[in-house]
Order: sequence, then structure tokens, then C-alpha cells
Amino acid sequence: MPLRRVLIMAEMHGRDLLRRRVAIALLVALPFSFYLASSDSGPGAAASGGVALAFAVSGAALFSVLSSRAADQRLILSGYRPFEMLLGRLLFLGPLALAIAAMFSATMAPVSSPARPWVLVLGIAVVALQSVPFGLAIGSAVPRELEGTLVLIGVVGLQLATRLDSVASKVLPFYGPRELLEASLSRHAPIGRPLFQTVVYGVALLIAARLCVSRRVNIVRHEPLVLSRSAAGVARSAAGVARGAADAARTARHYAPRRGRFVGQEGAVRPQAFQGERWPRHSRSRGRALR
Amino acid sequence: MPTQLRASGICKRFGPTIILDRAELSVGAGEVVGLTGENGAGKTTLMRICAGLLAPDAGRVRVAGRVGYCPQVPGLFDLLTTNDHLVMFGRGAGMGRKQAIMRGHAILDEFGYPIQDKAVTKDLSGGTRQKLNLAIALLADPSILLLDEPYQGFDRGTYVNFWDHCETWRSQGKAVVIVTHMLAELARVDRVMELAPHPSRAHRWADA
Repeated sequence: MPLRRVLIMAEMHGRDLLRRRVAIALLVALPFSFYLASSDSGPGAAASGGVALAFAVSGAALFSVLSSRAADQRLILSGYRPFEMLLGRLLFLGPLALAIAAMFSATMAPVSSPARPWVLVLGIAVVALQSVPFGLAIGSAVPRELEGTLVLIGVVGLQLATRLDSVASKVLPFYGPRELLEASLSRHAPIGRPLFQTVVYGVALLIAARLCVSRRVNIVRHEPLVLSRSAAGVARSAAGVARGAADAARTARHYAPRRGRFVGQEGAVRPQAFQGERWPRHSRSRGRALR
Repeated sequence: MPTQLRASGICKRFGPTIILDRAELSVGAGEVVGLTGENGAGKTTLMRICAGLLAPDAGRVRVAGRVGYCPQVPGLFDLLTTNDHLVMFGRGAGMGRKQAIMRGHAILDEFGYPIQDKAVTKDLSGGTRQKLNLAIALLADPSILLLDEPYQGFDRGTYVNFWDHCETWRSQGKAVVIVTHMLAELARVDRVMELAPHPSRAHRWADA
């Protein structure tokens, strides 16, 4: 049953994205244009193309999360689990990213003439695959599109701007894939370590996305109203009493005096329940001072 | 009349603003409750808490049965069709593709929905989108219905039809809460609950 939910989620996200024809065209065109524009610069062209591919694929993953934000909680209410929604997106975006990577590799391999073409193909595929959890993690963590886009541009841009051997470059998510692209140009550069690093980073990004998406879309599971008289019911009742005590504590905190001074309109009657308490300075956020 | 939904001592504040202060809501099976109140009184917040979409700062909600929630603003996918929505939301409730489409179409037919297989929701009118929004809430046949101004954009016939449906849901034993500003229709509900804004928000703050 969870697999069916994951498949439906993948299918629907696929339909949603594939109906955005302009977005699909840009998704393919962006890496090609970056690569062809920098193809005169020699070995650096592969890195530019890889970064553009990362921009495109992680952008698609980012928007797949953020564009469905309003519906996500409702989907959870209807019975989906957060990880099923995440897996569904991954299941569609992963193969899509690989398809774009395959087209891109087919262009890059003959034009760049790397020493080890298969490493170049591997590097491009790894860039594409790493971009999916990266976009999903950002989309799950940030509140809106603008913030997400800026984080994406910042991280991917930094990866391109920093030198490969710098510390900053090594802590960024596309270090491993970039090293693989560079390794394709030489016959002896290692590929095991960057590959391993990419896998570890990718798994970490997926875990981060899973945690963020749970925090963002999880719903409150209400207690059932019907109480059983079985042993389990008694246990639940005891748990209910404990929760009641916790509720009372939360209520007390809810009404605890906060910093600030209560100032009502002149002649206004302060509500009975709150007399003597100090209230937050509401107008502070509106840029007004209190008298 | 067995209680289907009981929310007790619900408190919620957003930053310094108290929205709900020990709010209570109880709805029995076969009962239609109208939830009214001025803008900002916390009606939608209370509905979201009852649906489980928002955690209260304090208080408890207990339910007996599945909850169907129709939000004020339909959270739909712009580029998916009606059937896509029915299949996706139906699958969440454990329904197969055909079953979800058949049941969804049956609900939509009752509200006079012009089903077009290839039309995506962004091309639908506001009222038609709202009908789909309502159908999704009803798709899994919930025993508790939380409807937050569900008739926005409905034409006159559908609007009257909607209130007729409330009587059907009542006869089916569902617990229904409707957020409404339509005072003329309050005679059609069993009970009206008015939510007042918290007294702390009734004060005006002086300028410096």
C-alpha cells in the first residue's frame, strides 16, 4: 500500500512537471547553453556545464516541493505520510535528471574529448542525481520560493567560484561530482573517494529533507473519543491524565505574563481575566511606541 | 446523540496575538453546527486545529471517526486535472484509481460540476475549483466534516443545493461544522456558535 501511494505521488508530480513545457525546455537548454558558452575555456567547460545542470535539476526539485506546499498537509490528512511524498518526488525526479544527464553527456563527451569519457558520463550522472536531494532538502527547509532560489544560487554558485582544493569547496554538496568531472580529464585521478563522498552527502541531504518535510507538513493525530474498558483502555486513560496535566502546564505557560506593558485605550476596561498581568507590546511590530 | 468531535480548552496565539482563548467546540453525530464570528475571530484557526493541521498551544481535540476538511482556499495543483486530484487524494484514503474517480464523479455530479477530462484546474472557474475542493473533502466519506466557507464562488443553484446537502449529511449521521457569514442560512443549522475576538485585541494602542 505505501508503494502504491509513492507511485501515485511520483506519477502526479510527473504529470504536473511535464505539463510545464517551457520549464522542461529550459531544464534541458540551461546546461547546454552554459556548456557551449564556455566550451572555448577548455577543461573548465565541463565544470560550468555540470554546475548549470545542478542549477536546473535542483531548481526543478525545489519548485516541486514549494509549489505543492498548500496541498501537502491536505494530502497528509488524506492518508499520505511525509516520507511517501518525498519518495514519490524522488522517484520521478531521479530518472528525469538521469535522462537530461544522458543527453548532456552525449554532447559533452565528443566536444570535450576527455581522457576518460566514461568518468565524464559518470560525473554528469552524479551531478544530476545529487541535485535532486539537494533541491528537495532546500525546498523542505525554506519557507518560500525566493529564499529557496537564493540559497540554491548561493550554494551552487559558490561551488563554481571556489577553487577545487579550498576548504569551502570541500564542504559544499557538489564537491564530489565536480572532482569526478575534473578526474575525467586525467588518466590517473582517483574516482572512488569523490564517488563515496557524493553518496554520503546525498544520503545526508535526503535525511535532512525527510526531517524538514516532517516538521513542515506533519499533522496532529487526535485522540479517539471512544474509551475502551480493556487494559489497553485503562492505560490510555492513564496516559490521558498525564496529557491533561501537560495541557494544564501548557495553559499556564500560555497565559504567563510576558515582557512589556499593558496599555489600553483611555477609558477602556481591561479584561477581567487578565487584570494585573503584563501584556506584550503589540505595537512594537507595527513600529509604534507605547505610552 | 454521540459526540463525534470535542475540542476543549483550545488556546492559540501567533506571536503576541491571542487568537483562541480556551475555545470549546463539540459536535454530535447528525448535527450541523454553524461557526460564525467577525474577521480574525479565529474561526479558520479553530477549524485547522480540529482538522489536525495546526497544533494548539494548549487544549485537546478528540474525534470519533475520519475527518474531512474543506479549506477556505483550495489547495489544488494548478496543472493537474480533476481526475488526477481524485486519484491522488483517493489513494491517500486507500481507494483504487477507478473507485476514486467513480466516487468523485458521483459527488461532483451532485453539485453540478462540469467534468472535462483534460481541463487542468488552473483553467477552471473559482466556483468550479471550490466544488472540486469540497468533493476532495467528501471523497473518503468522513464522519466529521469541517467546512470553511465551502460555498465561495458557488452559483445560486449550487449554493441552495449545498445547504440541502447539509440536511442529507445530517440524516446520514455526520457531524458537520460550517464556517459561515450567511446569517440567512443559520436557520438551517442545528446550533450556532459565535466566536468572539479575544478581548486583548479589542483595545486600540496609542501612537507615540
